[in-house]
Amino acid sequence: MRKTLPAILLAASLLWGPAACKRRDRASVQYTEEEAPQLATIVHAADPRTAAQFVSGFHDIEQNAWRWTAGRFAVVLRVPRGAAEKGAVLRLKFSVPEPVVEKLKTVTLRASIEGTGFEPESFTQAGEFTYEREIPAALMTGESTRVEFSLDRALPAGEIDRRELGVIVSSVGFETP
Amino acid sequence: MKRAARAAYWTAPSLVCLAVYWYGIQAWFQADDFAWLGLSAEVRDWSSFLDAMFSPRAQGTVRPWSERAFFMGFYALFGLDALPFRITVFLTQFANLVLVASIAARLTASRAAGFWAAVFWGTNACLAHVLTWSSAYNQALCAFFLLLAFHFLLRFIETGRRRYEAAQWVVFLLGFGAQELNVVYPALAGGYTLLAARKHFRRTLPLAAVSLIYVVAHMLVAPPGGTGLYAMHFDLALLRTLATYWSWTVTVPWLLTPYGLPTGWVVAAVVVLSAALVGFAVRHAVRGDRLPAFFLLWYLAALAPLLPLRDHLTEYYPYVAAIGPAMLGGMAMAAAWRRRAAWKAAAVLLAAVYLVIAAPGARAASKWLHDRSRRVERLVRGLQRAHELHPDRTILLHNVDDALFWTGVLDRPYRLFGARVFLTPGTEQKIAPNPEFGDPREFVLPAEVTARALDRDAVVVYDASARPLRNITRAYTAAFDYRVADAPRRIDASSPLADYLFGPTWYSAEANSRWMPEKGTLRIAGPTAPSQQLVVRGLCAAENLAAGPVELRVTAAGVPLKPVRIDSAGTFEMAFPLPEAAAGKEAIEIGLEVSRAYTPPGDGRRLGLALGSIEVR
Repeated sequence: MRKTLPAILLAASLLWGPAACKRRDRASVQYTEEEAPQLATIVHAADPRTAAQFVSGFHDIEQNAWRWTAGRFAVVLRVPRGAAEKGAVLRLKFSVPEPVVEKLKTVTLRASIEGTGFEPESFTQAGEFTYEREIPAALMTGESTRVEFSLDRALPAGEIDRRELGVIVSSVGFETP
Repeated sequence: MKRAARAAYWTAPSLVCLAVYWYGIQAWFQADDFAWLGLSAEVRDWSSFLDAMFSPRAQGTVRPWSERAFFMGFYALFGLDALPFRITVFLTQFANLVLVASIAARLTASRAAGFWAAVFWGTNACLAHVLTWSSAYNQALCAFFLLLAFHFLLRFIETGRRRYEAAQWVVFLLGFGAQELNVVYPALAGGYTLLAARKHFRRTLPLAAVSLIYVVAHMLVAPPGGTGLYAMHFDLALLRTLATYWSWTVTVPWLLTPYGLPTGWVVAAVVVLSAALVGFAVRHAVRGDRLPAFFLLWYLAALAPLLPLRDHLTEYYPYVAAIGPAMLGGMAMAAAWRRRAAWKAAAVLLAAVYLVIAAPGARAASKWLHDRSRRVERLVRGLQRAHELHPDRTILLHNVDDALFWTGVLDRPYRLFGARVFLTPGTEQKIAPNPEFGDPREFVLPAEVTARALDRDAVVVYDASARPLRNITRAYTAAFDYRVADAPRRIDASSPLADYLFGPTWYSAEANSRWMPEKGTLRIAGPTAPSQQLVVRGLCAAENLAAGPVELRVTAAGVPLKPVRIDSAGTFEMAFPLPEAAAGKEAIEIGLEVSRAYTPPGDGRRLGLALGSIEVR
């Protein structure tokens, strides 16, 4: 018995050692089979997985939370289920920063889909806002659609930043009513 | 004995055991394992560590070495890598086999008897769960403490040295941290000394006093007379249960062989092997040798505490007890070898009958458990990966079958890596009810909440029947029947997907619940029949009860229900009859109000009550 204990301890160290070294992130092994990427109906500026849907006029993600836009910007969104029958609500969550109001006094935002423009809205104060418009079912027929936004004015490149600056977007998307 | 022969003597039984139970070392986690692995999450400070280590858990058990420290320690070191757990189980078993060989050789004065005892026990089919399922490690460690204590008793009897007696006491006392079955040690020690070393019998009596104190203390913590599977029956069923376990011990559990041997043949083997063992014991008893009787006593003593559990026949319950017949078989084998050829032939034939039935049965059982654990691994690893890919989304599991639910979902393994997981609506209909263990409905996301979550891309759906786990979100979303109401009949308060059902005063969903201050409102579907009740499950903190009981007032559809008093901290479940006015309504508002709330230091929130779930049933 006196020789057995050290032998067991030796065996244990030989066996556990490789086991400990083998510890690895097994989640990297293929344990799931994923679908091909799908467009989102709502895109958050901070979400890198939907970065491809911010197709034009958006600057890089800042503070892991938001993106500056230029004077014109566009996103591609998946059309939500049922929108072809009931239509959808377009929601753009954004903020107008103090420097923009100071310089431009007022900015007017307008959205359009496939050439159909929606009622513009003007902002004269700094703060967080939601631009919300009902989109008729007739414009919601495909699997996805491109939504264009335009501001009547923006801070030109070189004025306070080397980029053209419009508003700061946190999210944009469709919701069914 | 030459060195090589000596090494072979001690290691061969372990190698045979390893060969038979090879699947056991490759097994992954399953079922209760996840509850024990999750214990680490409860440890925040020294006090919660002591609580996790020593507070009574399932059926009032306190097994700090074999469950708490084993799982928490190894999980901290190795995470979800099961191999170190399995190696530990096998090393403990190898130590047990060495101890069995050593003890049997000492008792019988025959090395051959020791060798065969270890081989017979190491190939016994009742070892399958212990050597393949980490949660049954308590059995292996319990056997280790019992065998080691008994080894020291023998050494004390042989040498008269007090240090061996002291070592026996230390090991015996430590054994209570492995498994409650340790209480039988005084019966083993007392039984042996009474039958074979009577002058030492009185020295074993204090051991019995300790076991008695333990039994009383355990009964105070977990009073006997449980219901359902754990109900104890002290009647003739004891003999029936004993006969069942004996037949399993000398052949294979449930008398099922992997190669389809007719049950009648297995029963015949039970009769023949039993007759041989008992006949051998009687023959020796007549001659004044009571050692074989002690081996049978070992079997009875180690099984006795489990015999009243008539409705909970468990394959590994005879694990420790089987050491007795194994030593008896080893002794008989060695005795036959000293006699004429006919006796030798008979002994070989009987050993062959046992091994031909037990070893394949053991291997098949181990493989079955191993395969089940690997299926659970694919699910859990898949969920881990899905959570990595979709950290902000709740995971919905589709096509979970009965076996996978009870072994891979019930103990919520996904909490180990912070994923939120539910089953798709309707899954509960594919799972056989088993109220003793849990309610599958608690794991299902209601169709009403699912519809809303799918609409908002808040969930990702995986097919659990696919290998590997397959993301079917798009197909599931397209096929889902959205013609559902807004409010469900059951709400899991810990799910952020249910946020829209809660009023403005509620705090954010947490891992297991959602707190409200003094008041909170929520929407739920109205009852479909007047007999249905509102079932509220939640938690009241001890801090909130420091100034006395709190009253919980509930309103349903504006009608006040009978208030209830909460006077003990911890989880609660209460049922309230619902007013007639609520019947048939698509949604009703429920108001909850507690008479007192408190503000935990460093938190800043007013906490009245934590709601776990609420249901109209």
